[in-house]
Amino acid sequence: MENQSLKKILITVVNVVIMVAILIFVVLYSAFTSRDSYLRQIEHFVDTTVTMEQVTENYLEGEQRICDVWANYINNKDMTMEEATAYIRASHVLKNASAHLIYPDTLTGLSTRPKQGTVDDYTVSYERVGLLDGIDWDNEIGKAINITRAYTNPMNGEQSLAFCNTVSLYDPESETSRSAILLRVLPISELEQKWVFPQTELVNAGLSMIDADGDYIIKGYSFKNSSLFEFYKSYNHTDPESADQLFEQVTSSTGYVSMLNSHGQECILAFTPVDATSDWTMLGIVPAEDLHVDKENWLMFWVVSAGLLILFICDMFYMLSLNKRLQAAAREAEAANKAKTDFLSTMSHDIRTPMNAIIGLTTIAGKNPGDVESTKDSLRKISLASNHLLTLINDILDISKVESGKLKLSPLTFSIVETVENLINISQPMIKEKNLEFRFNISRMENEYLYTDQLRLNQIYINILSNAIKYTEPGGEVSVGLNAEESSVPGCVRMTYVVADTGIGMSPEFIETMYQPFSRQIDSRVNSIQGTGLGLAITKQMVELMGGTIDCVSEPGKGTTFTVVLDIPLADRQREDMQLDPVDVLIVDDDKIMLQTAVDTLESLGASAEQAQSGPEAIGMIERRHTSGRDYDIVIIDWKMPEMDGVETIKRVRSDIAADIPILLISAYDWSDIEDRAKEAGANGFVSKPLFRSTLYDKINNLIGKECRSHEPEDDNSDLQGMHILVAEDNDINWEIISRILTSFGIITDRAENGRVCVDMIRAVEKGSYDLIFMDIQMPEMNGLDATREIRGLENPWAAYVPIVAMTADAFSENVTECLNAGMNGHIAKPIDIKLVIKEIRRIREDREQL
Amino acid sequence: MKKIMCILLTALMILGLVSCGPVKQEAVIDEKFKPRLDTSTSCHINVAGGYDNFEALEAEFDRFNDHYPNVELVFTKVDDYNNMIGTVLNGNDAPDIYVNYSWMYGRDQYKSSIDHAENLSDPALGLNLNCIRSNITLKTDDGKLPMVPVFANTYGMLVNNDLFEKEGLSVPTTYRELVEVCDAFRKRGYKSPMMGFSKEETTSIFTLTSYPYFCGTVADDAEAVKKLNALDPPAGEYMRPAIEKTVQFFGDGCVDLEACDEIENNYDAVILRFFEGDVPMMAGSGDTVSGTEKRESRYEAFIDAPFSYSFAPIPMSDDGAYFLDMPNLQFSVNKDSQNLDMANEFMRFLISSDELNEMAEIKGLMSPTRDLSFDSMYAAFGEVPESRILSPEEIGLTDDALVQVRQAVFKVGTGEMTIDEAIAGYGSYPLT
Repeated sequence: MENQSLKKILITVVNVVIMVAILIFVVLYSAFTSRDSYLRQIEHFVDTTVTMEQVTENYLEGEQRICDVWANYINNKDMTMEEATAYIRASHVLKNASAHLIYPDTLTGLSTRPKQGTVDDYTVSYERVGLLDGIDWDNEIGKAINITRAYTNPMNGEQSLAFCNTVSLYDPESETSRSAILLRVLPISELEQKWVFPQTELVNAGLSMIDADGDYIIKGYSFKNSSLFEFYKSYNHTDPESADQLFEQVTSSTGYVSMLNSHGQECILAFTPVDATSDWTMLGIVPAEDLHVDKENWLMFWVVSAGLLILFICDMFYMLSLNKRLQAAAREAEAANKAKTDFLSTMSHDIRTPMNAIIGLTTIAGKNPGDVESTKDSLRKISLASNHLLTLINDILDISKVESGKLKLSPLTFSIVETVENLINISQPMIKEKNLEFRFNISRMENEYLYTDQLRLNQIYINILSNAIKYTEPGGEVSVGLNAEESSVPGCVRMTYVVADTGIGMSPEFIETMYQPFSRQIDSRVNSIQGTGLGLAITKQMVELMGGTIDCVSEPGKGTTFTVVLDIPLADRQREDMQLDPVDVLIVDDDKIMLQTAVDTLESLGASAEQAQSGPEAIGMIERRHTSGRDYDIVIIDWKMPEMDGVETIKRVRSDIAADIPILLISAYDWSDIEDRAKEAGANGFVSKPLFRSTLYDKINNLIGKECRSHEPEDDNSDLQGMHILVAEDNDINWEIISRILTSFGIITDRAENGRVCVDMIRAVEKGSYDLIFMDIQMPEMNGLDATREIRGLENPWAAYVPIVAMTADAFSENVTECLNAGMNGHIAKPIDIKLVIKEIRRIREDREQL
Repeated sequence: MKKIMCILLTALMILGLVSCGPVKQEAVIDEKFKPRLDTSTSCHINVAGGYDNFEALEAEFDRFNDHYPNVELVFTKVDDYNNMIGTVLNGNDAPDIYVNYSWMYGRDQYKSSIDHAENLSDPALGLNLNCIRSNITLKTDDGKLPMVPVFANTYGMLVNNDLFEKEGLSVPTTYRELVEVCDAFRKRGYKSPMMGFSKEETTSIFTLTSYPYFCGTVADDAEAVKKLNALDPPAGEYMRPAIEKTVQFFGDGCVDLEACDEIENNYDAVILRFFEGDVPMMAGSGDTVSGTEKRESRYEAFIDAPFSYSFAPIPMSDDGAYFLDMPNLQFSVNKDSQNLDMANEFMRFLISSDELNEMAEIKGLMSPTRDLSFDSMYAAFGEVPESRILSPEEIGLTDDALVQVRQAVFKVGTGEMTIDEAIAGYGSYPLT
């Protein structure tokens, strides 16, 4: 347990580690791509700043050129200050532009536009402006753009820039040339309107231009302080050395640095020299976050994270669920294993018990070969133990198939009449043994032939009936009802099979689990009854496989009623229209329901039926008819009746009224016990309950002399005398058994040791040499199926159509189907039931005769 | 019983908490600036002044942008500000808010600067004028308030606190203590316990020491003020106590004038000399103090041996020091501003204790607000009793009269004149 817990933790840790590793990868990858993209954006921003520098430079050069043109003209003309001013005034194009001519020594001069608030005051003074002090103009003028910082125009108070040049003016007072500074003055507002980054994504970007000291020539909104370097130092931690290096870098190259702005935001400061000026630098600044455009990487991160988390949680839940299911399955397997162990233990006991009987009784029989009675008794008991053992083995095999899901139906056409007869025949010994009151009622059984898996249907009916018989105390009652109704399924008949007993019943707790394999009710009475605990499980599986339902009503001590409802397809083949010649029939039974059913059946066959509920009443009616000369054509009398039984009634009819009226004796049981007495009393024949339509038809026709389909008496085996059967059997013992049994019926047998020998023998013999082949399936060299196929493929028509019946231990329905598909005519399961063997031989012979 | 008591106490506590909560909340809300205009308003506000660099105001711009992110505020330096502001206000680049000075009241050449100013005492504007010390909130004769101070100025001395601590001395609060402290320092090897700029009259050590004392001598004498303002030479006698006190001060050996003469100007050089770390007291103005913080990282002597310092009034009287409270920088709103509402909104934002203190702290100047304790640099001025806080404007002394006093003291201090000569020269000193 602790180990499992450790494993769980290990798996969880491994999962988490993998998730974390993936997330780290995603984060690193995102960071890498984001960083890459960010760097590209920075490069782009630097390029844009460079472009802006070029645009600005072009603009400044243009303005400077105008100033230079004026200066050249003035210098060439030897003008006075007034003349030069007048010339420039005449040259003005821009409304807001002006020009100032200033003597550097006095810092006074003239303006081309009058002072604010005057119309004729053109004098201008730069004494207090602090713009023109201490500038060495000589090295600059005419070589580059020469522009002042932003300053307050002393004439109108506007923040302005001035492009400068020097001119030489004629001074009338001293009659000499006098140097002056020419300033082409432009309001900054003019420039600011043109001076913005064009890209919409750079809306928060700002531009500035600084001189070599870092002071702003033109200051954009995003820049603070009066100097870039003050701006930088105000909001960024630095030491003097680093600051100096940075300023050197900014003022001497093109590139970028990262810095914090006044909001504490990280910004990218791009810089590039303004080439046409002396030591000026163009600056661009933009918040770094504006350059982080790949935000989808984070989206990817969150999506991957969420995905992994969901996956992890789902996996965890799935694993937990799987573990639970596995644990449940393990518990079930354990329980099943225990159940099987218990079952095997039980089976071991249950198998050993009959085996013990067989071995022990065989030993006893072997030691007393001369004691015929003792030997017969031992053999009878061995037979009983063998049959039980066979049932046990069949059940084990069936439940094995049920559990493995390999149980399949093998439908074939069969007679429900035979099925019921078989059911009764099988159950009769136990009913008689336990002296049970047994009733079997049928109704509306109009169709004899149905199409389903007869073997499984028998199994269902027998299992339920045998349980009822087994668990009903001696002297109790078991009644069976089989009712055919119209089915909602097209082409089917709804068969409702009801078995009610007055047995020990079942507890509600057991009813809940009774269909589970290996379950048997814990009851001292049950423990004394042989059973595998598999019967009901098999029955339920088969009912469900056939699309039916099984219900049970039970009360401990009062009895149980099982109801099985199946929709069974009708076979294509049905008996030809069964109509009797007009006959008068008297039917006698104390059971009114049976009586009415029989009357209905007889009338449906075209007979005129009358009924009597007792022997005396029947005698009276027969006598009256006889007296009137209208004897009944046939009288059918139930054996067991109160007051006067059937045999006595027959005896009285024969002795008192008429000796030649055909009389059939009805019995719900095997009539072998009363056969001699009944024949002696004058019974012409016997008929078993329930009275099927076809049975009545056959029996009546047989009695009144018409040819009909009927079985030979079971104890008359003369019809088998001289038959010649080939037995393909590789096992010597099995060969000996079948050979001796058949020989006891006067049948001549030959042996083929395997399929190949069998084929060769058939190919070699003359036509009609064999009436039938019993074919084992599993044989060396060539198996029975291949042998059959080869025989069916022979050119000799007789050989190709010789009847072949499988006689094999492969007893499942699919084995039967396989045999039939191979071309066989029937199937007998090992261990063989001699009655079934004889019955099969007769069926084959009859079929051949009909052909 | 205990249970009931517990329940009752718990209920009372909860009630107390619940009832206290909103009051506190309200108090906070009351002090917080609440925008009155649409915060998405987009406009441009130009503030004009004479500073090259107004980092403190730009910080306020950023803080205002927290409320109005789309308002672009810029500070524009106007060259030759005092002379040009009138022209600027009448031109195309007229600012929305501009720096103004109360000394311009009544002077024709600055009439435009006063005339363009909106009356900021209008209650509709919602300015919290109560946060500013009333003696520096100066109205015109007709009761209007064209400008409000955003910084204050005073005269005093930078004190090297580490030196005082090292020598086990306390910052003096009376003249006697001052002399004793100087004597103590001198005995411990400090040649000039107090220094100051002495080369020119403007904010010279003579002015800084005598001017508050002089104001104290005439503060309650309206007749004297009247005569002094008239520049009547006999009024020079009102200067005598102050000049004699100055002479006494220098005679008491507190100052080595030769050492002071080495200080080249009244700003950088004063700070540089103080940062040398061997001067216990350095006379200066608030303007000088405002430059100290930035220079801490520039002067190697201070970088190598930093020390703590503060600004304190110079105690020239045995009764204690005078706190000469003067407006330094005042803001006016251009009543013709195209964005007048937003300009007023910015002023409403700015005129609060928090913002003015914040701005003053960044700038290093004295805050105009009532509470000076927030700034350790000026905290000593907050301890001066109200009776010894003087405002030349409130006293009524004109700038011209003050120029006469400063000149006279300077000439006596530098030995150019005797006390009598200086007093006799009252009214004859050139006006700058």
